[in-house]
Amino acid sequence: MPGLRPQLLAPWAFALVVPVATAGAEAGAEEGETRRNIEVWYSYTADTREEAVFVEAVQSFRDAHPHLVIDAERIPYSENVAQFITASQGGEAPDLVRISHDDVGRIGFVRIEGLPLLEDLRHHLMPAERLAYDPRGLTAMRYENALYGIPSTQSCLALIYNRKLFDAADEPYPRDDWTTDDLLATARRLTDGDVHGMAVPVKTSYWWFGFQTGFGGALFDADHNPTLDSPGSSAALAFFQGLEKEHGVTARGITPESMKTRFSQDRVAMILDGPWNWGDYLDAGVDIGIALLPVVAETGLRMAPQLSYHGWAVSKQSDVKVEAVDLALWLTSAEVQRRFTEATYSPPTHLALASDPSTFDDVAARGFLRQAGECVPAPTIRGVALIFEPLDTALQLVYEGEMEPADALAAANIELAAKMRQ
Amino acid sequence: MKPTLPILALALLATAAAAEEAPAVVVGDDVGEYRRIRIDVVLEPSDDRQALQVWFARAPFDSLVEAQLHSTIRIGDTTTLPRTPIPQAYDACWSDGSPVHRDASGSPVLDPDALDISCSLPGMLPGVDHWIAVIAVDARGEPLHPIAPVVGRTDALDQRTPPPDTRPVLFALGAIVLSLLVLLGYLRWRDATQGRRGAHLAHLYVAPAVIALAVLTFYPVAYGIWLSFTDAHQSHLGEQSWVGLANFGTILASPGVGRVSLFTLVWSLANVSMHVCLGLLIATALNRPGLKGRTVYRTLLLLPWAIPGYISVLAWRGMLEPDGLLNAVLGTDLDWLTQPGAARTLVILVNIWLGVPFMMMAMSGALQSVPQEMMEAAEVDGVGRWRQFRHLTLPSLKSVVVPLSLLGFIWTINMFHVIYLMTRGAPYVGFGEPGATDILITYVYDIAFEYGNYGVAAAWSVTIFLILLGFSWIYLKRTRALEGIA
Repeated sequence: MPGLRPQLLAPWAFALVVPVATAGAEAGAEEGETRRNIEVWYSYTADTREEAVFVEAVQSFRDAHPHLVIDAERIPYSENVAQFITASQGGEAPDLVRISHDDVGRIGFVRIEGLPLLEDLRHHLMPAERLAYDPRGLTAMRYENALYGIPSTQSCLALIYNRKLFDAADEPYPRDDWTTDDLLATARRLTDGDVHGMAVPVKTSYWWFGFQTGFGGALFDADHNPTLDSPGSSAALAFFQGLEKEHGVTARGITPESMKTRFSQDRVAMILDGPWNWGDYLDAGVDIGIALLPVVAETGLRMAPQLSYHGWAVSKQSDVKVEAVDLALWLTSAEVQRRFTEATYSPPTHLALASDPSTFDDVAARGFLRQAGECVPAPTIRGVALIFEPLDTALQLVYEGEMEPADALAAANIELAAKMRQ
Repeated sequence: MKPTLPILALALLATAAAAEEAPAVVVGDDVGEYRRIRIDVVLEPSDDRQALQVWFARAPFDSLVEAQLHSTIRIGDTTTLPRTPIPQAYDACWSDGSPVHRDASGSPVLDPDALDISCSLPGMLPGVDHWIAVIAVDARGEPLHPIAPVVGRTDALDQRTPPPDTRPVLFALGAIVLSLLVLLGYLRWRDATQGRRGAHLAHLYVAPAVIALAVLTFYPVAYGIWLSFTDAHQSHLGEQSWVGLANFGTILASPGVGRVSLFTLVWSLANVSMHVCLGLLIATALNRPGLKGRTVYRTLLLLPWAIPGYISVLAWRGMLEPDGLLNAVLGTDLDWLTQPGAARTLVILVNIWLGVPFMMMAMSGALQSVPQEMMEAAEVDGVGRWRQFRHLTLPSLKSVVVPLSLLGFIWTINMFHVIYLMTRGAPYVGFGEPGATDILITYVYDIAFEYGNYGVAAAWSVTIFLILLGFSWIYLKRTRALEGIA
């Protein structure tokens, strides 16, 4: 190009040469290094007890394996699955990721060049290692025969009550032999002005699942066909939303957030909540107790909310699978699980701890572990991830009085089946 | 994690107890499976044998203290136990040519009469020698024979997902960059040969911007257009095939498509018109000569713009909860965001609140450029304030208002975070339909990232792009706002 001054080419040359030179230097460094990197994605909320125990456990592993560099990155809980799938599709998946078994079906469904995104851990776990975990938790982590995660915690909703409000009303605390009639009668007596006997998010599917099983319904049948249209499901929905609309024992329009707020302010006597908020209630100074969810009077079945297992999964793309599995085994070991349960009240999955609730001194850890034994894990299928939109629509339409429970759930069932076929 | 006391006991007893022959263990051929070593075990008949234990170490061992327990195969009645097919089992063991029976925990159980078993042992390190011993134990767990480890090894490679094939992308990007460089070089050569000496360096200066735009914008748009004609889906990524206009047919047949499109239009028009009107109103008010505290007003009015959008939106969501500030002020307990009408109105109001400061600032700047002499002359001629605004101020602002409102329309129709953070499209008003507050862009997000249907999502994106292109074209043609600038 005539008239081009050399100094004008300098920035271009610099821009081209520096990345090439840097890449070469990095490649050279890798050849000489024995250090290996493990990238971990976790989804604990920042500055929580969960995160603190996790960070401490990772540090212990790092100390024991100085040749490993562990990069732990926090990913928002609601985003971790979508981000993991997207990262995998770009070849940028982390080596180790914390997942819920509810999402295993969604991730397991995805294929890149015909291969799954997660590593089948059956190749990595010796039987002696595998048998240390709750078999139900292991089954929950399986999708189409493959084992995609090692379970580390389990959680489900339990009946949590405010002792102060019960004492003030001279009411006996909830007992294991309570029925829904007892629950309702007590909630009515405890409802007075701004204080309500219960707080239940009556438009949120997750809170409805326990009622559904108690009334004899189920999300799916044995062949994994959706069964939202069963009579038990309809009765459960009528009872569930009747807590607000018919009986008035729960305040209007309760959401999971407002349930937490009201309970923290001593404005609610009983809630259905999981271990994740227990620490916050203690910090708020609430005098709390925990009990099993009651037996449904009409059916004689105990309410069994959805049990979720969380665990650690290894990316199929990882080039440090052996090390990543070792880290996963450490994060799910009895030692780390004990610390985790003591700090966060989340029930463990290691049989050395999970098989006996009396292992733990803390009333919450014991209570949630007992309740977990009564809960039911959702099947590990893609349909579980697809259930919320049709079900939330049904709950909304019934709440607004636009449809009857049976009609709304039948329509939701058709919609879910259609989504699963797509 | 080794159970040291039982192992120690076993080790001490191992040498003493030699009631039967050690099982003959042969390490099989490398099964080609990552982290697995196959062993074939031949047993002598025995009444004392209650289980087989597989132990291993990374060095030769003659004591179980030096080894690690790999697995246990119980020996017992198998008549009621299933033979779980190998693909369904956690590990792989065969006896007499069939998968072994398994108990409720999935552990293998061997019939007492069985005299052979083969297992593919998982969890072994690749490329490393392992010493493996199979030990028969009695009812008390005590070995019935001396330890006789054999060496096994697997060199099977890990099966990894192939890295994404970036060659087509790099080829396309390279072709784009080279084409642009050639084009710019040609233009520069033409300027030089035609004597436009002052312009010959301009091509070099604009080259980085043009190349960046081509690589970061034009290429992804072109890729999205191509994707919209394929059946790209999460379930078979990398194996998509051409489906023609099928995805566009799908979106036209989607339930609720008319409603979400209408709400997107209402959302965009309501927001842009209110942004422009309120922005202009406030800017005009703040532009009045002699107004005291103008800087303070401007600073306060800029706050919604200065705070990160997601924080503002989450704060609004909190205020609109049944336990939120709005209900506290009104003395109600209304669940605003779950009523379709209220939710739609509120998301629009929140976005108006977020967008007005920007328009106000832009209008304030434009108002400064309106000639004061013209306004003073109008005042001397007795023209009223409204007529001054209508016939002098507004026409002077046209060259700013038109591109700003066009830009505002494009931003608003693609405004994702307000809806996503406030309602995620809810409440839902029909099965299989978008939510009441969904706009096209949030609906497309769900299709792409909740349902993994990339082809349909791309078709939606192309449709939105065409709508915006058509709107912009017509809007600019009708207003002729940029003619003076061009």
